[in-house]
Amino acid sequence: MSTTTAAVRPSVRWLRRARRTPALVAGTAILVVVGVVAVLAPVIAPYDPASQDLGNGLAPPSAAHWFGTDQLGRDILSRVMAAAATDLRIAVLAALVPLVVGVTIGLVSGYVGGWGDWLIGRVVDTFVAFPFYVLVITVVFAAGAGERGIYLAYALVGWITYARVIRARTRTLCREGWVQAARGGGLSHGRVLFGHLLPNVAPLAVVLLMTEILLIMVAVVTLGYLGLGVQPPTPDWGTMISDGQLFLTTRWWVPTLPGLAVVLTGVGLSLTGDGLADVWRLR
Amino acid sequence: MRWVGRSLLSVVPVVVGVVLCVFFLLRIVPGDPAAMILGERATTASIEALRHRLGLDLPLAQQLSDWLVGVFTRGDVGTSLVTSQPVLGLVGSRAGLTALLVLLSVVFTVLIVVPLALLAATHKDGVLDHLVRIVPTVGMAMPAFWVGLILILLFGVQLRWLPVGGVGTGPGEPLRSLVLPALTVALGMAPPLVRALREQLVEVLDADFVVTLRAARLPSWRVQAHVLRNAAVPTVSLLGLNIAYLIGGTLVVEKVFALNGLGALLFSSISSRDFPVVQGIALVLALAVVGVSLLTDGLVALLDPRVRTA
Amino acid sequence: MTLTRLTSRVAAALAVLALSACAAAPSATTPGASTSAPATPQRGGTITYGRAAAVTSFDLNNQITANNAFAIDKVFEPLVSFDTTGKIVPWLAEKWDVSSDQLTYAFTLREGLQFSDGTPVTARDAKFSLERHLEVEGPLPLQAPIADITATDDRTLTISLKSAYTPFLSELSGFSNGIFPAGFGGRSEKEFFAAPVGTGPWVVESWDPSGDTTFRANPHYWQQGKPYADTLVYKVVADDTQRIQQLQAGQLSGIENVAPATIASLKADPNVTVSELGSWEVEQVFFNTQNAYFADRHVRRAIALSLDRDALTQAVTFGAAQTVKTLIPPTIQYAADVKALDNDPAAAKEELAASAFPQGFTATLLIASGNSVRTQEAQIIQEAVKPLGITLKIESVELNDFRERFFAYKFDAMINSGQSDAPDPDGLIAFQTDPEGFSKSYWTHYTNDRVTALAAQGRATPDGEERARIYAEIQQILADDVPYIPLYNTKNVVASLASVHGLTPRINGSVLFQDVWLAP
Repeated sequence: MSTTTAAVRPSVRWLRRARRTPALVAGTAILVVVGVVAVLAPVIAPYDPASQDLGNGLAPPSAAHWFGTDQLGRDILSRVMAAAATDLRIAVLAALVPLVVGVTIGLVSGYVGGWGDWLIGRVVDTFVAFPFYVLVITVVFAAGAGERGIYLAYALVGWITYARVIRARTRTLCREGWVQAARGGGLSHGRVLFGHLLPNVAPLAVVLLMTEILLIMVAVVTLGYLGLGVQPPTPDWGTMISDGQLFLTTRWWVPTLPGLAVVLTGVGLSLTGDGLADVWRLR
Repeated sequence: MRWVGRSLLSVVPVVVGVVLCVFFLLRIVPGDPAAMILGERATTASIEALRHRLGLDLPLAQQLSDWLVGVFTRGDVGTSLVTSQPVLGLVGSRAGLTALLVLLSVVFTVLIVVPLALLAATHKDGVLDHLVRIVPTVGMAMPAFWVGLILILLFGVQLRWLPVGGVGTGPGEPLRSLVLPALTVALGMAPPLVRALREQLVEVLDADFVVTLRAARLPSWRVQAHVLRNAAVPTVSLLGLNIAYLIGGTLVVEKVFALNGLGALLFSSISSRDFPVVQGIALVLALAVVGVSLLTDGLVALLDPRVRTA
Repeated sequence: MTLTRLTSRVAAALAVLALSACAAAPSATTPGASTSAPATPQRGGTITYGRAAAVTSFDLNNQITANNAFAIDKVFEPLVSFDTTGKIVPWLAEKWDVSSDQLTYAFTLREGLQFSDGTPVTARDAKFSLERHLEVEGPLPLQAPIADITATDDRTLTISLKSAYTPFLSELSGFSNGIFPAGFGGRSEKEFFAAPVGTGPWVVESWDPSGDTTFRANPHYWQQGKPYADTLVYKVVADDTQRIQQLQAGQLSGIENVAPATIASLKADPNVTVSELGSWEVEQVFFNTQNAYFADRHVRRAIALSLDRDALTQAVTFGAAQTVKTLIPPTIQYAADVKALDNDPAAAKEELAASAFPQGFTATLLIASGNSVRTQEAQIIQEAVKPLGITLKIESVELNDFRERFFAYKFDAMINSGQSDAPDPDGLIAFQTDPEGFSKSYWTHYTNDRVTALAAQGRATPDGEERARIYAEIQQILADDVPYIPLYNTKNVVASLASVHGLTPRINGSVLFQDVWLAP
């Protein structure tokens, strides 16, 4: 590495730093693999994930079925692949609304301060005092099990983390003086908020997003375990684990392999988030 | 002591908010408690009669105000629609187990988090530090129920060291029954806390007084003791911040280990649309979370006088 | 009035046999038990039984679900009962006389019968109990056309009917017709059912309506020397896997509702005894005949023809259930050997071609969530009808929602089960074929005048060939019309530690715990 870092453009510097962060490299590599498998599942999966062979249920892993078959004789490998698409799609989609809402609320309340901030603070406190699963489970019961319930539940509770963290960060930034300077320079509130503050808190939001996607994925799988998650016949890791739970001691691969898929994806997300935090010097 | 009054003042809106939220969420949930109680062979007339007896045919606003008036004037949280027991007694009889589980989980969490964070912070940027930062990511990626299932399989079914679930009777048995569940909760809680605490400890270690202590050639364990005392503040406040998350975690873990605590009561009450019981649980949990937050705030203030003046 | 003595010595002898031997009838696999000497029952100890749900009420007239029924029947007992084959046997009544016109029943109570508080049981108590049931109705009402109930003397109860009703004794054998003290023993209803007093082998010692229930042995029980154990604890362990693991770890003496998928591995455990007995339950696919597609008989027939019931049963129950072709399970008399439509894809295509929807259609299949067996079944059915061009979308809703949906006929097709409450076919037939009844042919709205007429006939025809002919015809019509597709007859499966003896299911899934004893 050269010592002329100062001369290189920031984006290149960023990339260099990223390449030297093993967590980020490993994390993105895992995510790329999982993502490619998820997208290409219909093409590369050895079997149709829905096709049954009732006479060949619960077969152990073999050359024909690398991960074995489930109770209805469906290929577990093909289902794990198809489930990657389902679960990642849900996790990413469910994370979007909270991201936008949470960041906006955090920015505005941190910037405005005063009683508006107090009010938002109380709302945040209320949701924080809510044991997460109590709320999610009630919402899922209200909206019906399945994807719709999950989206709704996250739209309701997911924004809290962003709002809390971004608000604190915004307030710190506001005290730094350049915000007042910008305002004094005649910039509108909107320009200051979205032109200057937002870019400053964005990296933080992205790092949080990684964690949130991970938490949502784990929660989707947990809801599947509780029978409130993705509904059959759509393949989903949680439902696969929950269906296979009865065979944990006798046919370990049925619940274990989908479980490992969850762990692998989770590690990918977690490492990526960590790595980004390192690269952006957020610690 | 002004912060005490201010904190208490902030409690009321939070608790009221939680309770209102739960009340209205429950009413959107499809399914009628009366039909549920009477089962598949109930007639429309008998369902209507029961709805009337349970007061479910009253306007929502009246149901809410009746309930709130009961809570605030008589401390009466209502009566279970299914078992006709007072909700407070029902929740009380379950809360003990959940509280014990939460307590044990906190102890385990601290036992896991503090040494690991200390290890990582004192070996900053070394191999140990990286290990302590990477390994918990795996833990974070594992759903709690999954960890629970594996622990049951390992320590319950294979090794037979600990009960696989439920609560045993006899001396020491209840505590033994809670070891695996508490460990499951702690393993889920620990990863983000280890990291957060490590950050804080790194700051403390770089602080002037530590440098001074080191310069004074104090034995390293005494330096560490000083560091630990200073690390206690962030640990306590981190735990306080995460207490709701921890309680939420215990609810799912209760299900995995078939523990008949608040979690089990919550699941069964939501399924049977036993509105007053769900409301009661939400109220108790919200009070507990807020209470713990206040307590940790107070503790932090005691340990760290700067907070009081800030 | 001339009374014909129906209860012969043979019946009495059979009854005694049933009392002493019925526990041995279900097939039990006890590894190691065969090596021990013929065991003599031991006294004392606590039986801890892992159950799926808590006991929420002891009000026998107002309950129907198993969580309560199997606790109520420990405390209250009916005049008559049934054995493992579903035959009616004497219980609190040692005998009964039926008039030749089938309109008058005179029951004689056992001598020296006492409630668990030591007070004697008289015919007045029985009269009070049954009259309260008539008044309450409840989810399992007395359907018999009862004209009058009279306590003729201390030990004789006379019930007269308005018209002949063959299933009467069978109906009386249900747990909801248990006998309790007249006037609730001077207490209010609420007080009484909070600490109930009956003739049953067990007395409620402590009861948590959302948790465990503890019973102690009734010292005044009429079966001499029973119950063997001192204490019976119903421990709530809702999770299937947890129940099994706690049993295997020795934390429980026995468990109910063993999941079919786990039977094989449990049988392989030398410390565990698995015991199974056919049930009164038949898993079925129900069609809402008010739905445009399923109103078409050809469509229903085509779906029946495309299902391979044997493969389905094997896949979801691992052979722990018996495939059936009729709604009356083989465990109930008059189950007929009907010619049913089954597993013929070519014929299915022809049948659909003859319908108004030869190209197929899209409809929903409603199931209750949280029932993994039904979820598997729904997916099998979905795949099976795909070749017909029929797209069945699985709609999985929470149990309470599920019930409200089908009560309101808001479903196209659904999976559910028909469960008889008594060893007589009339209950099931009435529940599933009467379009005017409360259940509207199990919410299918299936209407067939011939079937309705036959069902009324069957109810009034005395047991025998004539009755068999009537029920056979009904079942064949149903097999041809397919308002529902019977899939399989489930089994009651319970498991216990090998040191626990006599823990076997009754045909309704309950256990006679007075017969259970613990080896030292």
